[in-house]
Amino acid sequence: MSSQAPSEQTRSSDRVADSDTRRANALAHLVLNGALVVLFATLFVRAGALPSSMWEPLGAGSFPRLVLAVLIVINLGIMAQEWRHYRSHTATAPGLIRRWLWRHRLAFGVLALFALYIVGVPALGFRLASLLFLILAQLALGVRRPRSLAIAAVIAVTFSFGLDWLFRDVFIISLPRGPLS
Amino acid sequence: MTEALLSGMDQLFTLSTMITMLLGVVAGVIASAIPGFTITMAIVLTLPLTFTMDPLQGVATMLAVYVGGYSGGLISAALLGIPGTPSSVATTFDAFPMARSGQPGRALALGIWASFFGALVSAIILIIAAPPLAMIAVKLGAWEYFSLIVFAMTVVASLVGKSMLKGLMTGLLGLFIATVGADPMMGVARFTFDIDLLANGFPFLVVLIGIFAVSQLLQEVEDAEQTQHGKQLIPANVAFKPLDALRETLSYPVNLIRSSLVGVFIGAVPGAGGSIANLLAYDQAKRASKTPEKFGTGTPEGVIASESGNSATSGGGLIPMIALGIPGSAVDAVLMASLMVHGIGIGPRLILDHGDLVYGMFMAMLLAAFMVLVVCLFSMRFFLRVTDVPRSVIVPVVLVCCVVGAFALNNRVTDIYLLLGVGIFGYILSKLDYPLAPLVLGVILGPIAETNLRRALMTDENWMLFFTRPISLTLLILAVVSVAFAIRQRLRQRPSEKTA
Repeated sequence: MSSQAPSEQTRSSDRVADSDTRRANALAHLVLNGALVVLFATLFVRAGALPSSMWEPLGAGSFPRLVLAVLIVINLGIMAQEWRHYRSHTATAPGLIRRWLWRHRLAFGVLALFALYIVGVPALGFRLASLLFLILAQLALGVRRPRSLAIAAVIAVTFSFGLDWLFRDVFIISLPRGPLS
Repeated sequence: MTEALLSGMDQLFTLSTMITMLLGVVAGVIASAIPGFTITMAIVLTLPLTFTMDPLQGVATMLAVYVGGYSGGLISAALLGIPGTPSSVATTFDAFPMARSGQPGRALALGIWASFFGALVSAIILIIAAPPLAMIAVKLGAWEYFSLIVFAMTVVASLVGKSMLKGLMTGLLGLFIATVGADPMMGVARFTFDIDLLANGFPFLVVLIGIFAVSQLLQEVEDAEQTQHGKQLIPANVAFKPLDALRETLSYPVNLIRSSLVGVFIGAVPGAGGSIANLLAYDQAKRASKTPEKFGTGTPEGVIASESGNSATSGGGLIPMIALGIPGSAVDAVLMASLMVHGIGIGPRLILDHGDLVYGMFMAMLLAAFMVLVVCLFSMRFFLRVTDVPRSVIVPVVLVCCVVGAFALNNRVTDIYLLLGVGIFGYILSKLDYPLAPLVLGVILGPIAETNLRRALMTDENWMLFFTRPISLTLLILAVVSVAFAIRQRLRQRPSEKTA
């Protein structure tokens, strides 16, 4: 029988899950930082083609190249660190990424709606795009009961048409108008 | 001086001026409480409304918006974790955790009092020391500006969190992001790839909103169960005890005075502004604290430092404007425009030719500080009701406000596309534990650093001037000391982290 108190005992499945997460985290770092290294290296090369000036010793490309060079070194350092973490943990259990995506489904859903909203603002106009976004986002985030739905509708109208009126007629700033305006 | 002061007060303390100032304070607080709206935007929108007013009434109203704006940024910083204005970035580090731990009222109350004392200190310094301080500010050349930015960048060492490498990476990434767009000296397009979206670079405000607001809001809705069951952002008993907060604020007098002085000094340096002051004040408070490990977890010292630092820039910014006719920031430039519209010439003789106006402005700063205190203390209970609003409402509404803020800045649709891209990138970085504050710092400081470095070398190619000019050398030494101190603190913390 273990001498540890029950609360101190960790189940082997918990330890596996922790190891899984750390290894997956390390892999995510390797992917992100690897992509950034490639990007920064490309930009470093491109910055070399920026013109210099006869009036100053530093041209348009000097400062960005300095920053990019240090960024490449730092990213390689982070990759080296994360590679050690990746190697030191066991292989991930299948379905980890799927579970992670499912856990974050609401955040991704809101992000997708937000992206559609951003694309919709110039196409539909601020008022209509905001109205649709506010209604759909509130529905996605759990508004269900009739009273809550009514409040959601009022909020949607206030922060779409209301904001548009405020900016147009009070601040004299025109927000994007759509084809229906 | 006494005559001019009395004359200014006589013009200021009229019913109509005080009413417009009060409205200005309310407008400034509300505008800066909304993420995406800035103090500059609020001031610009106020400008046309002042055309029909007397010069002092018009300027006093705009000053009221200005001072109110520095305090209003605290509200969304504490309650949503999103800085309402760039000058509230450091406020999120401790006010938000404090609010999340069930003390939103305490966070707001501390911030209000700290803002008040910061504005008070800067107004007093303004009255006493404007001309001599302005003479120091005008001695700063490109070398001194660059060295000041190097010193300001050492603040990154305080913001890196657990991983120095990750913090450095995001700080440098911010420096790089600021280089996208037109080169500041030659106007050459850099890293735009002939894409319209990137032609104007990444506006700082778009980066700030995207990095902080969008990623923070997405994190709020990660917990599907909590969100869909109507949970609020801060499920807490929202007690608001201003007197307790006053006692607590005054129990850190050194922090309060030091942070206010940092704010005044940074405000007096043309081009620096509140966005740098709050971070520098926070950094200095952390280094001087007996418990630096508590910074970032909800310590009152962090809230006091940031809020007093940013509010003190309001008075500091007027110093070069009044003494030399040089605006300390974009807001001061708009104030100058207001005076010019009323036929008041701006320049070193302003205080001599229009003494009553200038001293009236000084008194307006003082009066605005008191008005902001009263307005905030009375309205905070209303703002605290935000904590009762479910996430399902707060998140979409704030996202819409962010889009409006990003668009209204330059009237460009491309800015909202950039907002989306930066927001997604910021979310990815935050999921992988990259600190976001250094990135914002890099975007603020990058253009100033590059422009001044190149100007300095254009004037004289001798690199040694950075070390032979006294003010520049002093700033560089301070930067080295600052980094050494940060490394020493990290090395000290490591054994205690290992044994924990």
